[in-house]
Amino acid sequence: MQLPGVDEQQRALDLVGQTAELRFRPTLDWLPEQSYQAALETAAGLADLTDDAADDTTDADDAADADSATGEDASGDAADSVADSDAAEPTETGIEVVAETNTETDTETAATDTDEAVLEIDPDALETDTDTDEVVLEIDPDALETDTDEVVLEIDPDALETDAGTDEDAQLEAAEQAQLIVDRFAFSEGDLPADTEVVLPQYDEARNIVARYRLGPTAVTGDGLEGAVAQYQSFIGWHVAPTFISGSSGIDLFNDVGGRCHARGAECPAGQIAIELDNEVVSAPSVQADSAVFEPFDRSSITISGSFTEQEARDIALVLDYGALPVELEAQQSQIVSASLGTDALSAGILAGLIGLGLVSLYLLIYYRLLGLVAIASLGLSGAMLWTIIAWLGESQGLALTLAGVTGLIVAIGVSVDSNVVYFEHLREDVRSGRTLRSAVDRAFPVAFSTIVKADLASLIAAAVLYFLTVGQVRGFALYLGLATILDLVATYFFMGPLIGIISRRSGLYNNPARFGIPMPVSQPQAVVNAQTGDGARTEARQGAAP
Amino acid sequence: MRRFASILSALYRGEQQIDFPRLWRYALAGSLIVVLISFGSFVFRGVDLGIEFEGGTSWEVPAPRISVAETRDALRDTGAADAKIQTLGGDTIRVRADIEDPAGIDSVRSTLAELAGVTDNDVSVTTVGPSWGSEITGKARNALLAFFALIAVYIAVRLEWKMAVGALVAVIHDIVVSVGFYSLFQFEITPATVIAFLTIMGYSLYDTIVVYDKVREVVGRVTATGRYTYTEMMNLSLNKVLMRSVNTSITSVIPVASMLLIGSFVLGAVTLQEFALALLVGIVVGTYSSLFVAAAVVARMKEREPIYVEIAERIRMRGAQSGDSTRVVAADDATLGSAAATGSGAAAAKTSAGSTPAIPPRPRKTSGRKRR
Repeated sequence: MQLPGVDEQQRALDLVGQTAELRFRPTLDWLPEQSYQAALETAAGLADLTDDAADDTTDADDAADADSATGEDASGDAADSVADSDAAEPTETGIEVVAETNTETDTETAATDTDEAVLEIDPDALETDTDTDEVVLEIDPDALETDTDEVVLEIDPDALETDAGTDEDAQLEAAEQAQLIVDRFAFSEGDLPADTEVVLPQYDEARNIVARYRLGPTAVTGDGLEGAVAQYQSFIGWHVAPTFISGSSGIDLFNDVGGRCHARGAECPAGQIAIELDNEVVSAPSVQADSAVFEPFDRSSITISGSFTEQEARDIALVLDYGALPVELEAQQSQIVSASLGTDALSAGILAGLIGLGLVSLYLLIYYRLLGLVAIASLGLSGAMLWTIIAWLGESQGLALTLAGVTGLIVAIGVSVDSNVVYFEHLREDVRSGRTLRSAVDRAFPVAFSTIVKADLASLIAAAVLYFLTVGQVRGFALYLGLATILDLVATYFFMGPLIGIISRRSGLYNNPARFGIPMPVSQPQAVVNAQTGDGARTEARQGAAP
Repeated sequence: MRRFASILSALYRGEQQIDFPRLWRYALAGSLIVVLISFGSFVFRGVDLGIEFEGGTSWEVPAPRISVAETRDALRDTGAADAKIQTLGGDTIRVRADIEDPAGIDSVRSTLAELAGVTDNDVSVTTVGPSWGSEITGKARNALLAFFALIAVYIAVRLEWKMAVGALVAVIHDIVVSVGFYSLFQFEITPATVIAFLTIMGYSLYDTIVVYDKVREVVGRVTATGRYTYTEMMNLSLNKVLMRSVNTSITSVIPVASMLLIGSFVLGAVTLQEFALALLVGIVVGTYSSLFVAAAVVARMKEREPIYVEIAERIRMRGAQSGDSTRVVAADDATLGSAAATGSGAAAAKTSAGSTPAIPPRPRKTSGRKRR
């Protein structure tokens, strides 16, 4: 598993250790942590208030006469209000309780003997403006029919404890609301099955909770995801691009929940899809917030953007990428290679490689002369091709060049040179046996190439076995070995053979095989196979060139 | 000096006439001794397995002037006092212990960093869980077995099964010697080492196959004359292929040798050094085994085939074989069919390679001798 851009061991371990189950859920509601904490505090005050409130409501329910509420000149028979003329004790609130003010009564029976009309006021109907001392009484005017135009209410202001009473109630209510919030956003504990509503936290880098999300049942799991990458685009910044698998187990499911969330329906009122990993919300982007109509996503055209820093985008992409694994990873081996050690080994390796190349070239030149030059050129060619491929793989697949890889490359030098050597030696032998250089070149190549293929195939089998059956460093080595072998075959067939063919036809050269590093035998003159010359071996060397 | 120069010159021209079969006797004796030493070392000294195979944690820090004893003292408080401590290449301290909790690891790390006068980041830490090692070993073993099986099949199909046997014997020989080398000098065996071994095996096989190819080519041509035993024909092939083998080895050894030299001079490149040493030994042994072990095995096996038994008999009866030095295949016989003016030479060599001559040549009539 390669984690590009992660250079801290602990972060790498955290990221890797996280890859349990990945789920996409519709967001029902969410709350910043601060608000939750505030609600928590408010709800904590609920305990104190409930005692007071209990007293208040019981008192307020008692019918009580107060000194304050009198109705002057209210004719009893005209009053639709039912007067509860219980003699009640003055209450703390100083307001007498009035029963239903709207009810009609039998005016006759309701005739009061007194001049008093008692207003029962339902405390809940009181709208208090807590900032002032005002008490607003809502009275249904139909309920009051007075002979006069006056209804005078005398209220003893001292008897009114508006601040305490109404504020207390308000506080009570606030506390109750807060408690609702606390209950609503309490984290789900224990095993969280995929198909229920849950409340999950979202953490920041320092592992502090930043928000709480109330989420619906799982819509898509990590199984539906193929992978994800972090990308940068100008004007947008860093975003994450996941790729879903096609069809009903991947992108279709996602579009389903996407559509529901876009519409902000009952199943997804918040309009966001939460990405949940390890019972945490990683991110909860909203769906196509700028467009009025939901357009189903193409499986690889989804982007998740949200002013991510590069780090955040890469982390989310990694989480998505590996969260697509249905397994939980446990760190078995971790290795920090300190930069200095790594660099030293690298530069040592490169230096060794260059010196080695130089010396090999020298040797080839001395031994094979012109052919040696061809060998060096062929080496350079396969080296260039190998380099290109490795660079490309490094970009597209994240292939890293390790020490094993460097070794593989050094081995590749040996392999490449060897195929040249096979051919050259074959050439030499042919020429020594009496062929002309030109015919030897043509004749020897297919034979030599078949030998090269045989041997290279064995190398390829070895590389393939290693690649598919091992992990880690050995696998990297096998890859480089296999690549180098294939490229060697290509370079030999398409470059070295034809090149030698061309060179050998140049007139100045083919007459002089020594230039090709093909010495003519001195002591043993050419054996020309010609049965008629008897026991042969006495005719002179054909080309007559001194070795 | 002049003799040396003339030997080199003969080699350059491919005119040397080395008597391989005679050398085989000495070579095989030598190989046997080396193999026995390797086994003995393996059994009695054991191998130094790295933490990738055993599990645990390893710390490496560049600390040129610190000794093992000083390190052990410094680590006394961290609970790692009984760890394996070694100096690598004179510059690097390596500590290996069975500590796996992060706190313990970090405390050793900072202790070492302090001791060496570097920052924490300059200490390389590798932690391996216990199950990883056994898994890697299991995988490596499977890979090796699969490798052997496939190679054996491939050679058997492309060349012949007796050659496959010879090749496997040679490869096993190389591995035993290489591992014995590591065991003798107690070098650490890490996955990188395994790679080195695999490289060695690859080289050895490559070399062996080229040798075999040449042998088949020659045998295919020359058997028809009925005048040479398989061993003699093989001798010729080996002589022909010698320079090719030697050259390949030299061109492979040069980069590896430079890795070795650079590694021993550069701080921290100890892995490179040990690796290069193993490769060096392995490549040399691999070349040797292709010419002496693989070839000898195949020659022994092939000589038992009826055709070659017959040829050997005939030759012995003719008295053409003198003493126990291998006769040299005469030049015209050697080049028979390869330098023909028509294009049939190479084709004949290719098609005849692998096919045994159908009709043995008529025995010559000489007086006084009867065919048994």
